[in-house]
Amino acid sequence: MPELSIDGRKVNVPEGTTVIEAAEQLGIFVPRYCYHPGLSTAGNCRMCMVDVENSPKPQIACNLPATEGMVVETESEQARKDRAAVLEFLLANHPLDCPVCDQAGECDLQNYYMSFGLYDPRFGEQKVKKQKAIEVGPHVMLDQERCILCSRCVRFTDEITKTGEFGIFNRGDRAEVGLYPGETLDNPYSANVVDLCPVGALTERSFRFKARVWYLSSTESVCGGCSRGCNTELHHVSNRPHLNDGERLLRVKPRHNPDVNQWWMCDEGRYGHDWIDVDRLGEVRRRTDEASRRQVESTWEAALDGVGTALSAGGARVGVIASAELTNEDLFCLREVLGAHLGARIALPPAPAGGTSDDFLIRPDKTPNRKGATLLGIPDAATPSAEALVDAAIAGELDVLWVFGHDLVELVGAEKTRAAAVGECLLVYSGTNDHATVSLAHWVLPSAAAVEQDGTFVNCDGRVQRVGRALAPYGDSRENRRFLLEIAARTGTPAREDWNGPAGVFATMAEAVGSFAGMSYESIGDQGAHSAPSEALAEAEQS
Amino acid sequence: MTFAHLEARADEIIGLYEYPRAAMLPLMWLVQADQGWISPEAEGWVAARLGVAISRVREVLSFYGMFRGEPMGRRELKVCTSLSCRLRGSEALLETIEDSLGIKPGETTPNGSVTLTKVECLCACEMSPMVQLDERFIGPVTADDTGTVAAITQDARSEPDSPAASPEPAPFIDSSGPVLSTRFGDPEGVWFDGYTAQGGYEAARKVLTSLKPEEVIEQVIAANLRGLGGAGFPAGRKWSFVPKNTEKPVYLVVNADEGEPGTSKDRHVMERDPHALLEGMLIAAFAIGAHKAYIYIRGEYFRPAQRLQRAIDEAYAQGWLGADVAGTGFALDVVVHRGAGAYICGEETALLSSLEGGKGQPKLKPPFPAISGLFGCPTIVNNVETIACVPFILRHGPERFAAIGTEKQGGTRLFCLSGHVERPGVFEEPVGVTLRELIEERGGGVRGGKRLKGVIPGGISARILTAEEIDIAMDFDSVGAAGSMAGSAGVIVMDEDTCMVSTLDSAAHFYADESCGQCSPCREGTGWIHRIVKRIGAGNGKLSDLDDLLTISHDMEGRTICVFSEAAAWPVQSYIAKFRGEFEDFIRSGRSLPSASAREVAHA
Repeated sequence: MPELSIDGRKVNVPEGTTVIEAAEQLGIFVPRYCYHPGLSTAGNCRMCMVDVENSPKPQIACNLPATEGMVVETESEQARKDRAAVLEFLLANHPLDCPVCDQAGECDLQNYYMSFGLYDPRFGEQKVKKQKAIEVGPHVMLDQERCILCSRCVRFTDEITKTGEFGIFNRGDRAEVGLYPGETLDNPYSANVVDLCPVGALTERSFRFKARVWYLSSTESVCGGCSRGCNTELHHVSNRPHLNDGERLLRVKPRHNPDVNQWWMCDEGRYGHDWIDVDRLGEVRRRTDEASRRQVESTWEAALDGVGTALSAGGARVGVIASAELTNEDLFCLREVLGAHLGARIALPPAPAGGTSDDFLIRPDKTPNRKGATLLGIPDAATPSAEALVDAAIAGELDVLWVFGHDLVELVGAEKTRAAAVGECLLVYSGTNDHATVSLAHWVLPSAAAVEQDGTFVNCDGRVQRVGRALAPYGDSRENRRFLLEIAARTGTPAREDWNGPAGVFATMAEAVGSFAGMSYESIGDQGAHSAPSEALAEAEQS
Repeated sequence: MTFAHLEARADEIIGLYEYPRAAMLPLMWLVQADQGWISPEAEGWVAARLGVAISRVREVLSFYGMFRGEPMGRRELKVCTSLSCRLRGSEALLETIEDSLGIKPGETTPNGSVTLTKVECLCACEMSPMVQLDERFIGPVTADDTGTVAAITQDARSEPDSPAASPEPAPFIDSSGPVLSTRFGDPEGVWFDGYTAQGGYEAARKVLTSLKPEEVIEQVIAANLRGLGGAGFPAGRKWSFVPKNTEKPVYLVVNADEGEPGTSKDRHVMERDPHALLEGMLIAAFAIGAHKAYIYIRGEYFRPAQRLQRAIDEAYAQGWLGADVAGTGFALDVVVHRGAGAYICGEETALLSSLEGGKGQPKLKPPFPAISGLFGCPTIVNNVETIACVPFILRHGPERFAAIGTEKQGGTRLFCLSGHVERPGVFEEPVGVTLRELIEERGGGVRGGKRLKGVIPGGISARILTAEEIDIAMDFDSVGAAGSMAGSAGVIVMDEDTCMVSTLDSAAHFYADESCGQCSPCREGTGWIHRIVKRIGAGNGKLSDLDDLLTISHDMEGRTICVFSEAAAWPVQSYIAKFRGEFEDFIRSGRSLPSASAREVAHA
């Protein structure tokens, strides 16, 4: 464990630690372009040069092993000069087209110039001309002139996806990043190169000219695109509807979590969020005419009264088709209110077969919380399948069938769905988006999306992770948990008041469910925490 | 386009290497030799054969100057315009050839017979100004040598296999010895029988049968043999850095990527005395525990590569290479690996990157090659001339080699004299020879009785010395103490009429062209400097440009992975520091005023 000194402060680091990492431990940020902890060390940008005692030349902190007694200065006169010099070189041929660059505001050329540059520019020659606005793939736009040739994108496609699309061609100041002519950057993780690019050379096509980044709010969350649960940052606007045709979520970025997704996420997850603002259910609806099954807008009061009354009727036979898209907190309330108290049988349709997957991040189960449902005992061993519940509804053996999220047409086919909707059974639908089942329901209760509420998911590896509330519930939609508690009140279910907040539900859940024992909503933090293996889980994994 | 007829040869080539990817350059050479260029289909074929992404092939194609990404003429005429050739009139020569062929550099004659290319130094400076037609060097030839120019253009227009009308070069190549040049007398080269008749391979036999590796290293250390590629690092000490008892294979790599403008030495060893190099390699490989050696030779050196291969074939046939060298049980295989036109590959880690099948980009240190070099294994990279000294040391004893030189550097060097001397050529001299002796006695003084203005003592990267600074010994330490470097022993002499702005333009163009583009200060700085110098040369300079040039070059120095940026910075700094008045006068008047007298006239 060598001890070294950085800017006069001592730090002990494990053998093999580099100076840039050691500085990070002290909270000292050494500016960098090519260095990235998830990629091999390139050492080409020269931005992280530091002053090392007894070294005749400045050293790059990213490739300098920390040694015993080493004395490093990151803020000495020499180190400042070195960084300013490198910046001037990097900006010599840079087009300085910040006013039309999407990276402006989060660009490390801008940021470092303000922090470490501030020199008087001397470059007065003709700049090297390269290509701009090249669509290199479905998601990524390349501007060769803005590129500082740090090679992060090349190393990403070499080392992480091993697809090798990017290269740096030619040499000297004619060197340019690009793809082999005719090739496309379309690997399943392509957009990560945009996050890696420290400048405006690689930008997202979907975000192009949509908004200046300083208008964006950011919320830490977890991707719901599959059971991996990659940690994310959601970038959104709520008060500038003109920026993105009214869509509030502008982009999703991966958030570092060494135990889940490192620095990366797949394109499917990153761009699978259109549904949040498209074809959403924003109003309570009820069926007004049995013959035509016409629906009209209604109110939450009426809906909750209506559904509550049906559920409270003596001996009501209730079936619930739950969804692995729901948070643990929603599922727990569902289990307590509808299952434990009202005796509902709760089905959970399995993940459809054939979901794409790989040996990196992408999982075949495209729901984010199946493991959480399993830990909560949903479905339990005695629960019939979703199809059996629909059959029971058709046969008049159910009084209420409450469907969360699923389109029954996909689960049991159009004929059975229709049959279930025309029978005596009250069909209640809660969910976020419009589909065939919605128009057949007696009651439509619009649900908030996962990104519109706080809660937790459990990923495929059993890691409990918090979903952050980035947006207000769409239209008149409500969090599932919230209206389930209203149902509880109307049906005499003993629900606890503190279940209105995610921390309260989680606390009860931690008491009631072994897998969550000892955890709290707070302790999960922004990096998640591993659930205890439960018997239910072990059984589920065996089966 | 089909590649079926190349498959068998490709298999053989790939079989020479530990990893298929290392066969990148040879496979591209194979395709280009067969088809004249490397088409997109060929890139795809190479990528598939090597199991790499096609973008890797394009990176390599675009990095190396000799690979052709589009069809060109049946022949290629390259005209060197680097400093040594420029000093002796290559610009006028190029214009004459342009007029004669009716094309500009980069163009091909309408009938597709020849492509004209302007190139940087081909390291045949002893015959400057010179050209290369396909594989053949021709020179010296000046614009007023109408007969030779006509012969060259006639050859260029003829079919590739036609008999040559232009003469074979006959430069002055010293063969007086005592270490390196004793067998340089025959331009056709000394081969196995001739070499062994003069005691060749005796040193290797002695080493393999009676010495331990550490004893060999001790003798090389005692001989004060320094790295003659230009850095001057003690060769024996370098060898001692290879970890003992490593489980990985150890490689010996010979750096034959001679490319420093003004230099011409290694080529003569390979063309005229190739077995000396092979014997030195046997001894070096034994000392470091290597059983596989590569010779990385610059792509423009066709004939040296062919001759080396002939010598290697002889050595295998005679049992001096292979699984059981001369019955001693020691094994050594040698592979000649051709570069493809990139100066930076002379830097040892760039050379390794290139040998591994990539762009020639220097690698981060640490780790150093002796610990983790070729394919991540311990590797010693030595220059041709360095290795060629080794048989002498082991045969005659380190004391004798050391005694030839100075206190800290033993032996001799092959000095290339070029530029404005009466007798350009290659001269073997003890390393303690003075620069004045080289210029005045070996080179016959400044051409035409002119006064000496300046001299670059060790290749274009070395800082210039003025006429007052030439009374220095040419060993590494003495030239370093004088503020320059002995470098590659390429001595470029400039007379009083030499324009320093033009000289700097030559250097600045070279470095901007050859920077690998990896590190920001070098990539951007070399281009920036060249653009400023070009602007000054065009008469649009500002006096403030000079200070900008100094600070830009200073900002490049010491801030990059390799020392290329220093090499690019030193000419700028030293030319301006020592000839500032001339630069200022050029900027004020917008024209070249090289001599003091010319400047006085201009001021009057």
